[in-house]
Amino acid sequence: MTKNIIRIKNVTKIYRMGAETIAAVNGLSLDIRQGEVCCLLGKSGSGKSTLLNLIAGLEKPTSGQIIFHKKHMERMNEDQLAHFRQQYIGFVFQSYNLLPTLTALENVTLPLIFRNVPVQERNERAMEMLRAVGLESRANHKPSEMSGGQQQRVSIARAFINKPQVVFADEPTGNLDTKTTYEMMDLITGLAKENHQTLVIVTHDLELSEYADRIVVMMDGKIERIEERKKLGGEKS
Amino acid sequence: MSIRDLVMMAVRNLWKRKLRTFLTVLGVVIGTTSIVVMVSIGIGMNESFQKQVEEWGSLQVIDVYPSSEYGMSANANNMKKKTAALDAAAVEQFRQMEYVEAVSPILRESMLLICGKYVSNASFIGIDPGAMEALGYKVEEGRTLTAEDKEGIVVGRAVVEQMYNPKLSWQMQMQAGPPEIDIMNDKVTMTFDWDYGTKYADKKLKPIKTQVLGVMPNSGNNGYSVVMPIKQMEKIQKEKAKWEKSNSSGSTTQKQTKKEYQQVSVKVGELNRVQEVQQQIKDMGLQATSLTDQLEAMKETTKMLRIMLGAIGAVSLIVAAIGITNTMVMAIYERTREIGIMKVIGASLRDIKLLFLTEAAFIGFAGGIVGIVTSFLMSQVVNWIAAKQASEMTSSIPLWLYLSAVAFATVIGILSGYLPAKRAMKLSALTAIKTE
Repeated sequence: MTKNIIRIKNVTKIYRMGAETIAAVNGLSLDIRQGEVCCLLGKSGSGKSTLLNLIAGLEKPTSGQIIFHKKHMERMNEDQLAHFRQQYIGFVFQSYNLLPTLTALENVTLPLIFRNVPVQERNERAMEMLRAVGLESRANHKPSEMSGGQQQRVSIARAFINKPQVVFADEPTGNLDTKTTYEMMDLITGLAKENHQTLVIVTHDLELSEYADRIVVMMDGKIERIEERKKLGGEKS
Repeated sequence: MSIRDLVMMAVRNLWKRKLRTFLTVLGVVIGTTSIVVMVSIGIGMNESFQKQVEEWGSLQVIDVYPSSEYGMSANANNMKKKTAALDAAAVEQFRQMEYVEAVSPILRESMLLICGKYVSNASFIGIDPGAMEALGYKVEEGRTLTAEDKEGIVVGRAVVEQMYNPKLSWQMQMQAGPPEIDIMNDKVTMTFDWDYGTKYADKKLKPIKTQVLGVMPNSGNNGYSVVMPIKQMEKIQKEKAKWEKSNSSGSTTQKQTKKEYQQVSVKVGELNRVQEVQQQIKDMGLQATSLTDQLEAMKETTKMLRIMLGAIGAVSLIVAAIGITNTMVMAIYERTREIGIMKVIGASLRDIKLLFLTEAAFIGFAGGIVGIVTSFLMSQVVNWIAAKQASEMTSSIPLWLYLSAVAFATVIGILSGYLPAKRAMKLSALTAIKTE
């Protein structure tokens, strides 16, 4: 029996644009299962990114409940959310979002810095992660000295270093060429499966959905359909 | 986040914008330097006052006089105050007071010092010989009196320099040139007969033999004095009283109330306790004065000037503080996206705030450190100019001023960084991350 790690219940997010109101997410309910690779697929404006931001606690829903690990995220204050993200969530962004003043190694250790992990330990763990993404030789390079693909690898290493239960990837390959895209997707899904972590990918690229166990197709703030790609047999796949 | 990480990140961020950091720090350097130099000139002024006053005598000595009757009737409020006699009991009471190091009654007598055919009139002072050094008397030759001395005198240089031959007329004295006297080794006597050496002198009265133990310098106000142990002075005063009585023309005999002293000197161990002890003595109903009164008065007159100097320094530091705030606000605009990233990957609000405060504190600290180095150099320049112009406008920087200047600059940095840091903290992670 697969557990649901995130339960989204009847969530609505309304934006006000002057006099107009737009429901980016409209009364949506969805359960995300532990250990699955879930793909939120949709066109621009379908509300997939907003949904991701809501689940990650970056935005508060206008109404509805988001229960993450038995905790109501919509009720947490900003500090609790920060703590929560530290503990359970990893992020991979489209535009890498590395800190320009820090080296690759330091960027990877950043989540551990905020958790007060001692220098020795966090550097060892970061080197391990860099090795896993194949970038150990670039540990002391600044982001500006690396290619887009390499930066994204660093960003992936950063997302996974804390062994978070859920990793969110928002258009992770949007800025990369096709070859690198596949390398990156193999890397992300591989790492997630290895540690039985849940991966939520937001994309408009149908090809990326090939990596998913389940595809949630979104349109106009609602779920259009859900496709089960593989039988989820836990760790097997 | 640990302090080490905060500092590491702060330094990286500041280093990335070297020129801007440098200019902001420069503002703090100028602010710190101006405040330190201005304050140091104020301190230097006070120190030169102190030096000046110390030349008149020890700052730690309080002179106590009997409560004056004139003062009493003039001031109705004082009527109620109890008055104490300045007697042996009072002296004992002074000795018991906290911070009091030495106490000595003072007896004074105007007499003549005689050396060979020369004489010199001087103010003879009888004190407790053991307290002489403590009371601030200094010698440039020989030694001061010690507790063991029952007899012997310490003379002022001016007393020796003013020796003259009383047998010569005024014009002849002028031509005679300076007397050749080796005061330390020549035979010396003294007398209370002011007519000694003239035809009016009392031939029956023999000058009192004594020995010179030391010579006091003219700097300070002891050049015209002769100091001797109080016991010896008491004996002389008794003899004088007897002599005056036996003298037919002794109509001027004053009845010396034996029990009360005309003056008592009290030495206080610590300079900054002098006023306290002085007040205690005044509370006993006695008059007490010390050189610190003068010093305080001098300090008081220049207080306004010193406040003005400090204010000038403060203004430049305020300008520097605005500079820091400006730099930090700019940094936040530039790094909005970074702030968003850090928030998303788990930085708490506190971390964000601390990060920016650390940067601001660092600017203040660096400015403070460079500022005190510059202040030191400036202070040397001020003193060099002062020495050249023989001006009293010297600059003196005590250690506490250095330390508090750095601490102050750092605090200014933190305060200036507070609003920007708060602003960074409040940035929404999502909007921050969307900023390009």
